[in-house]
Amino acid sequence: MTTKTTKPDTYAIAWRLPLIVWQGLFFVGPLLFMVAMSFFLVKNYRMEVALQFSNWQRMLSKDFFWDAYFFTLWLALLATIITSLVAFPASYFLAFKASERLRRWAIFFLIIPFFTSYLVRIFAWQVILAQSGVINAGLSYLGLGPWQMLNTQFGTMVGYLVLCLPLAVILQTFSLANIDKRLVEAAHNLGCGRLRTVFTVVVPLAKTGLIVAAVFCFILSFGDFVSPYYLGGSKPPTLSIMIVDTSKSGQQWPRAAVVAIMMIVTLLVVAFTAIGFAYRKRGK
Amino acid sequence: MAEPLVVFDNVVKRFGTFEAVKRMNFEIREGEFLAFMGPSGCGKTTTLRMLAGLEQPTEGDIRLAGKSLLDVKPHERDTPMVWQSLALFPFLNARENVEFGLKMRGMDKPARRRKALDWLERLGIGEFAERDVNSLSGGQRQRVALARALVTEPKILLLDEPLSALDAHLVIRMQGVLTKLQRELGITFVYVTHSQSEAFAMADRVVIMSKGEIAQIGSARDIYRTPASRFVAEFVGRNNIFAGTVNAAGNVETPAGTFTLDGKARPGDKVSFVVAADVVSLSVTKPAAPNVFTAQLISEEFVGSMVTLFFEAPGDTEVKVQVQERSLEGIPREPGQTLFLSFDPSHAHILKG
Ligand SMILES: Nc1ncnc2c1ncn2[C@@H]1O[C@H](COP(=O)(O)OP(=O)(O)O)[C@@H](O)[C@H]1O
Ligand SMILES: [Mg+2]
Repeated sequence: MTTKTTKPDTYAIAWRLPLIVWQGLFFVGPLLFMVAMSFFLVKNYRMEVALQFSNWQRMLSKDFFWDAYFFTLWLALLATIITSLVAFPASYFLAFKASERLRRWAIFFLIIPFFTSYLVRIFAWQVILAQSGVINAGLSYLGLGPWQMLNTQFGTMVGYLVLCLPLAVILQTFSLANIDKRLVEAAHNLGCGRLRTVFTVVVPLAKTGLIVAAVFCFILSFGDFVSPYYLGGSKPPTLSIMIVDTSKSGQQWPRAAVVAIMMIVTLLVVAFTAIGFAYRKRGK
Repeated sequence: MAEPLVVFDNVVKRFGTFEAVKRMNFEIREGEFLAFMGPSGCGKTTTLRMLAGLEQPTEGDIRLAGKSLLDVKPHERDTPMVWQSLALFPFLNARENVEFGLKMRGMDKPARRRKALDWLERLGIGEFAERDVNSLSGGQRQRVALARALVTEPKILLLDEPLSALDAHLVIRMQGVLTKLQRELGITFVYVTHSQSEAFAMADRVVIMSKGEIAQIGSARDIYRTPASRFVAEFVGRNNIFAGTVNAAGNVETPAGTFTLDGKARPGDKVSFVVAADVVSLSVTKPAAPNVFTAQLISEEFVGSMVTLFFEAPGDTEVKVQVQERSLEGIPREPGQTLFLSFDPSHAHILKG
C-alpha cells in the first residue's frame, strides 16, 4: 500500500518568496535592528553595541520629548478632524447628488494630485503662503495683511490637508456611494428629515469607510516630515523633525530610534483601535 | 358619501421619455385593503412610491384626505411603507428599528420603548426585541418591518411585495397576520404584488395593472368572473378563454364546439368569452344540458381539498376545471380519459376588445 504524501507546493512558495524576502530584508530586519539600536550607546560620535536603557530613560523623562509627542498627536488629530469634516460634504455631494459622469470625473481629478510628488506640491504651497506670496499679494491689494501663514501651525495644517484631502474624499465617496439608497428613503418615509437622515442613517451606514479614511489621515499626518518642516517652520518640532534633529546632532541614532519606536507604537494602537471600532458589530 | 382617503387624479409618471405610469385615475377608500397586481415592470412600485412621495408625479395630482400631496415632502407624509427589501436599518436592533419612527416624532424614550415592545409582542416576536436584525429569520424580519411601519398608527400603510422573499408556507401565515391586523386596526392597506393568490386572498378590491395602465379595478370575484379584457382573463389564469365567430342562430362556433350564450352575441361578430374554471361541470355520459363539449384529461393538480383538472378540447383549446376533490367520485381520472364538460350560458362572460 502506498500512502500519498503531500508534496510541498513549490509553485505557491516560489511566487510568495520574493515578497517574503523583500519584507524580511527591508521591513522586519530594519525594524528589529532599530529596536536593538535603541539600546546601543554612542561614544565619541560612534555607536557601540550595548544593552542599556539609558536612551529610553533619557528620552522618556524629558519634557521636550513629551511636548513634541503631544504636539504631534494634537496636530495629527486636528488634521484628521478637519480633513474628515471638510471632505464629508464634498463626498456626500459626489455620492448622492452628482451624476455618474460627474462622479467619474471628480474621482479622476482627485487622483491627479498623486501624479506629482508631495514634496513638489509643498514647495508650490510655500510660494502661495509666503509673506510676499500669492495670497498676501492679493490681500495687500485689498488693503489687508500681510498675514504670517508660512512657518506657523496654520501652514503645517494646510500641508496636511494637501496630503490627506484627496484620499479622504475618494475613500469617503466610495463608502457613501455603496449605501443602499432604499435605507435613506426608508428614513424619510418614517418621518426623518434630510439633514437628520445624514446623521442618523447615512453616517452609521458608512461608518467603516469614514473611519478608514480618518485613519489614513491620521497615519499620513502623524508621520509626515515635509509639511511641519517646510510650511510649519519646524517650531515647535514634531516627532519626525525630532528624529532628524537627534540623529544629526551628535550621531544620536539610538535616541532617534526611541522616538521612532514610540511613533510606531502610537500608530499601531490608534490604527488597531480605530479599525476595531470601524468593524465592531453592535450588540452581542 | 365622504371623500375617499386617496385620489389619484390624472397622474402620469415619466422617467425621461419612458412613461412608467400612464394617466391613472382611481380612488382608495378609507379602511379598505386594496391590492395592485400586475406583471413585473408594469408600474406598481412607481405608483406606490408616488403615494409615499419618493417619486414626484410628472403630471396630475394626488390627494390624501382631500389635500394635495404635491408639495408635501416624503418625511412630512404619514404614509409608512413596508419595503420589498424590508430596508431594516442594520445598525439598529429590532426594537430600535421599530422605535425609529416614534423617535422622529419626538416621543420620549420610555414611552417609545414601551410602544415598540408592545408591537413586537403583538406580532409575536417580543423575545427577539434586542436581537440584531441580521440575525433574525426572514419571517421575523418581516414582522419587524411591519411593526416599524405600524407603530406610529398611520391612517394608511403601503406594502411593496412584502412577502416575495418568504417561503411558501410562511407566505400563507403572513397573509393571515396581515388580514387580521388590517381588520383589527381598520387601517387602509395598499398592497403591491405580482402574486394573484396574495392579492385575491387578502384584498377587498384589486387593481390589475398592465404597462403603466389600469386594466381593471374590482373585487376578486368581479375580476375572476367578469374580466374586463383578454389581458385580465389571461393574467388571472383560472379562466377558460374561447374564441370564435357568431353564427346566424346567435351561437358561437369555436374549435371546441358550438356554444349558446343566451343571445349575448351578435350574429357575424368575432367574439372571445371566458368561463371560470369552477363553473365547468364534468360527467362521464353526455348530460342533457346546453354547451356540452368533450375534452381529454391531461393532468391534475391539488391545492388543499380543491383539485384542478387540465383538459385539452378540440383545436388545442386548454380547459381548466376546478372542483372539490370529493365531487369527483365515480369519475375516472386517468390521463387520456375523454369526459363531457359543460357550462351554463349565464356563466359565459364576453370579453371586450
Ligand atoms: N428611477 C427610475 N428611472 C428609470 N426608470 C425607472 C425608474 N424606476 C422605475 N423605472 C421603470 O419604470 C417601470 C415600472 O417600474 P416599477 O414601478 O418598479 O414596476 P413594478 O413594481 O410593477 O415591477 C419599469 O420599466 C422600470 O424600469
Ligand atoms: Mg416593484
